[in-house]
Amino acid sequence: MSKSRDASVSSLENLPSENAEAAPLYIPPKERFFEFRRQPSAQRAAVLAFIGALAFFGLWEAGHYLTPAPARKFFPSIGEVGSALYVLFAERNFLHDVSISCGRIFVSFLAASAIGVPIGILMGCFGNIRALFNPTLTAWRYLPAASFIPLLLVWFGPTDQAKIALLFIGVIFFLISLVLDNTTAIQKEFVEAGLTMGASRRVILTGIVVPAALPAIFDSMRNMIAVSWTYLVIAEIVGAQDGIGAVMMRAGRFLNVDVIMAGIVTIGALGLLTDLIFRGACRVLFPWNVERRS
Amino acid sequence: MNIVAKDFTPVTNVPPLKATRITKEYLGGSFKALDDVSFELHDNQITAFVGPSGCGKTTMLRIIAGLEYPTRGRLEVFGKNVQGPGPDRGMIFQAYTSFPWLTAMQNVEYGMKILKVPAAERRERTMNFLKLVHLEKFANAYPRALSGGMKQRVALARTLAQNPAIILMDEPFGALDAQVRWEMQELMIELIEREKKTVVAITHDIEEAIYLADRIIFFSRQPGRIKADIPLTFKGGRRIKQKEELLEMPGYAELERQLFAMMREEIK
Repeated sequence: MSKSRDASVSSLENLPSENAEAAPLYIPPKERFFEFRRQPSAQRAAVLAFIGALAFFGLWEAGHYLTPAPARKFFPSIGEVGSALYVLFAERNFLHDVSISCGRIFVSFLAASAIGVPIGILMGCFGNIRALFNPTLTAWRYLPAASFIPLLLVWFGPTDQAKIALLFIGVIFFLISLVLDNTTAIQKEFVEAGLTMGASRRVILTGIVVPAALPAIFDSMRNMIAVSWTYLVIAEIVGAQDGIGAVMMRAGRFLNVDVIMAGIVTIGALGLLTDLIFRGACRVLFPWNVERRS
Repeated sequence: MNIVAKDFTPVTNVPPLKATRITKEYLGGSFKALDDVSFELHDNQITAFVGPSGCGKTTMLRIIAGLEYPTRGRLEVFGKNVQGPGPDRGMIFQAYTSFPWLTAMQNVEYGMKILKVPAAERRERTMNFLKLVHLEKFANAYPRALSGGMKQRVALARTLAQNPAIILMDEPFGALDAQVRWEMQELMIELIEREKKTVVAITHDIEEAIYLADRIIFFSRQPGRIKADIPLTFKGGRRIKQKEELLEMPGYAELERQLFAMMREEIK
């Protein structure tokens, strides 16, 4: 390149530095608590989470002491629920009920995913498959799962199958429609790139669509397993023998509110644990995608 | 390093692509995106499709790629009638299509895997093309960690590694900022020169078209027709390595002025 062309462009590099001392420190505006879209630091998030939990338990405890004495036994304190929980585990083999409930959630959710995820993906990929299933499945989504209890009781009696079937029905139709959305939401150019590279339809499906949609599908599964936990107590009303829901229903009959609340706390804790497991699995399974919103 | 993924080399003087009387109608014929468009591409030439928005140039490119079908007309690649997409016509999109779940290296390998290129040859070619697009240091990085320009270089390497006869580019640098854009233009010239490819590139950018192309096909709007077919003879049949060289060439400013005038006429 010729140098002459640059002659008209004056250079700033040679200007003498006017000020050798350090530039003034910039003082940013005061940070507010309500700062739009600002993410707190990890420590602050932990502190805030702790305060939030403390507020909840504080309200609970205050509610207990503010309830007039005759009704107070129907609103047990944290300590009473804690000791009920201890008694449940130590003396009444509650661990057995917990593991029975977890097993039901696991089996029903596994079945719902094994059927729902492939159907959702196929519906998301192929308009004809979607047209085939979607109207019928949409109707199913509007049916309350609890309305199947009488039917399931007639079909299966008060068995494990009845409970697992209810949890399955409660989850699968929503799961299918979420997976369908996750699949259609992938960037359309991924599929087109596959086509122009000469990939077969099978390769595009398994090698492009599935990996592209999988992190979002995992998110949907995480949300749907939470729904599954919310159906647990309803499912275990059906001929209550064992399981967390059964224990709670029995306690209700004897007005043992502390046991009922212990059951609620247990389900909450298990739900939280499920969520953490799913998030952890996502990090391990999709290392290329760790930045996704959680 | 002259291994080919699949042999698409021309047999005779048959043009790499021949489009005959392509018409594309939408809405049952009430809207014509393309109206009786015919042209031939020449071997090892870069052709730019230029025209105002909505002139059908993207539709034409997608028809060549086989992602859309014409209502009437015929499309031949080296004399063979084509229907649907195929690896003989590689495509680079404006959107980033490097697969986020694969590393840069796996992305470049992917196209060759589809063509069942043996593993050893595949690896060698992959490393070679990563080097050519200056990404050898990022071989194991996921696209998430790469900038827009780098992602587009992965896509370029993936397409070139498949060794297609024709490379189709739909505004490939449209999403990049100005500096990365001319870097990519220069890199593309270098790679196309080296790999001897027939290229069709869509662009809105008149300067980009003049810099990259050996020939410009200008589309008019509604219905999409070829308004002008301009060989860029002022470059003397060679490709320009550095963009500033272009500005000094006699004929450049005049051509740019003409193209702007044509564009203005269409927009009116």
